[in-house]
Amino acid sequence: MTGGWRIFGMLAPLLLVLAGLFGLGLGLTLMRSLRYLPAIGLTEPDLAAYRAVLTAPRFLASVVWSLWIAGASSGISALLSLGTALLLRHGFAGRGLLLALIELGLAVPHVVGALGILYLFSQSGSFARLAFGAGLIDQPAAFPALTHDPYAIGIILLYVWKEMPFMTLVLLARLKRIGPGHEAVARSLGATPWQAFAQVLLPMLLPSLLVATALVFAFAFGAYEVPLLLGPHAPEAVSVVAWKHHTDVDLSARPEAMAMAVLVFVIAGAVLALGARLVWRLGGFSR
Amino acid sequence: MLRVLIALCLLTVPARADGVAALYEGTHSWAEIEAEARGGTVNWFMWGGSDSINRYVSDHLATILKRDHEITLNRIGVTDAAEVVNLVLSEKEAGITSGGAVDLVWINGENFRSMRQADLALCGYTGLLPNAALVDWENPSISNDFGVPVDGCEVPWNTVQFAFAYDKAVLSEPPRSMAELLDWIKANPGRFTYPAPPDFTGSAFVRHVFIYAAGGPETLLGPFDQSKFEAVAAKTWAILNDLEPFLWRGGQTYPTGVVQLNELFANGEVAFTFNYDPAQFGLAVDAGIYPSTTRSFGLMDGTLGNTNYTLIPFNATNKAAAMVLQNLLLAPEEQFEKAKPEVWGAAPAIAIDRLSPEFQADFAALAAHPSVIAASALAPHALPELQADWLTAIEAGWREDVGR
Repeated sequence: MTGGWRIFGMLAPLLLVLAGLFGLGLGLTLMRSLRYLPAIGLTEPDLAAYRAVLTAPRFLASVVWSLWIAGASSGISALLSLGTALLLRHGFAGRGLLLALIELGLAVPHVVGALGILYLFSQSGSFARLAFGAGLIDQPAAFPALTHDPYAIGIILLYVWKEMPFMTLVLLARLKRIGPGHEAVARSLGATPWQAFAQVLLPMLLPSLLVATALVFAFAFGAYEVPLLLGPHAPEAVSVVAWKHHTDVDLSARPEAMAMAVLVFVIAGAVLALGARLVWRLGGFSR
Repeated sequence: MLRVLIALCLLTVPARADGVAALYEGTHSWAEIEAEARGGTVNWFMWGGSDSINRYVSDHLATILKRDHEITLNRIGVTDAAEVVNLVLSEKEAGITSGGAVDLVWINGENFRSMRQADLALCGYTGLLPNAALVDWENPSISNDFGVPVDGCEVPWNTVQFAFAYDKAVLSEPPRSMAELLDWIKANPGRFTYPAPPDFTGSAFVRHVFIYAAGGPETLLGPFDQSKFEAVAAKTWAILNDLEPFLWRGGQTYPTGVVQLNELFANGEVAFTFNYDPAQFGLAVDAGIYPSTTRSFGLMDGTLGNTNYTLIPFNATNKAAAMVLQNLLLAPEEQFEKAKPEVWGAAPAIAIDRLSPEFQADFAALAAHPSVIAASALAPHALPELQADWLTAIEAGWREDVGR
């Protein structure tokens, strides 16, 4: 068992931080979600907060809207990053520059990116002013609503711009590991380029792609600052609703905020677990 | 896994609350408090959304505190006083009954009520401040914070009255009453909006419509009355729902906060903005954010006026230094300094008639910023604030019936 203990020993610092900081925080949140808040006189744990949250139409609408944002962002990012990774596989003039431009997004914080989207795409933003200058629109309201809109276009745009580089890098690393050998063999055996891609390369890429998509989905589902800056006032992302309950002047709304946080954790955790299960079913990272 | 979670939960046993308002039980003479505060620090948590206010506190006040009392002033900016309420509440739950992070907080209204609800405020010491004699504590709009008695738990800093702003270059004559405003909005679709409650300013605008629907504030003063509320609320939601198609974006979405509304106004997407503190319009014009032709106005029906305060939490580390700062904030020199339009333009919380003739002349001679309507012009049409229970009911009702 020395091998096992050695691995445990090496992981111990990370586990301490995770269990200590994150676990304690989760424990506190769980406790408060069960309505245990002695500071305002609540000493009997019960599930009233969960009942209130799960039966509120506002919360369910927020969950659906957050699922839409997360699903659309991760789905579009996955498709774009797959195409980009395949494109950047082979060297060509300007590859380095293109790669640098794509990776630029990784260094920019989400909040800054969201402000950038506002500056560019809002109805009084740069593109609207260009359109006005070109005579295409005559007032701000004539420019399409891409921010603070019910389809979350601005939010999805930002998440795709931010998460696509991350997924591209993951896929590029995987492609490098796979190497061109498998496709070459398939082509030499008579496969068309499409068959070589769809039936040989894609199944090998799928585990990495699924893991990256699940990570992006879980992140975008629970994210707070971008929907706050770019979203409409209703429906709101789940985290924004939770934060509003947390800062409500009525202190007894705090347990509901905690219950929402726990539910976000559960849903995001379920998505990650589903992704892991799918990867395991597909044979894992066998090469 | 479940056992691990439960074990982790048990690691976080919170302190018991004692359920009694924290009364100040320290030294009882001002000289002793000043001596205790000398050489100390004050951590002041306040709304950080205005560069001018931040400059007044961090540059001007900090210099004076350092020079006269050797106290270091740390200004910590927050988006909403509710964050500070959460901070002190968390400290109380964790058993931190002394040495807390917050020494002073700029607060009023619903957040003050939250702090009292959880016994987070230090009370009973305000009589010790020498400059407290300049405050007219008999004035109900000072001794009551949104209907909640102050009870010696907070010290006033500014009085404000709600006002609207418009661009004179775009609109020559603004509507002068709520009825005229509602008609203007219907005649000019897409040119008006208001932040969705529970934003502080958006909530205030909805309260103006609520008071207009009730025909005046008289029947709404006093404790919350469910039947009265429902009768007036039905009319209010009908007015606001009728208005919705004529708002910005067709009422599909509302700005999430006053900052977003200010941006829409600055960009010319909407024709009006509004604020509890009309001095903000002048500051924005000086900063080049609003056009120089911005002008402000009140409504003939009246606009809401209230006081804002500073409060010391029960577990503050530097209570004496915070009291010295509160006393300084009430000083005639400081109330006059912040009343200057180029500094802030905030209306004083002290009674001008209790000041020396020189100061009274100074206040009278203050030149108002052209974009800021004078407090004296708004004061004849002042509406009192409703008690906090009305506010929460109105905000919740708006979310259900208007905000979808």
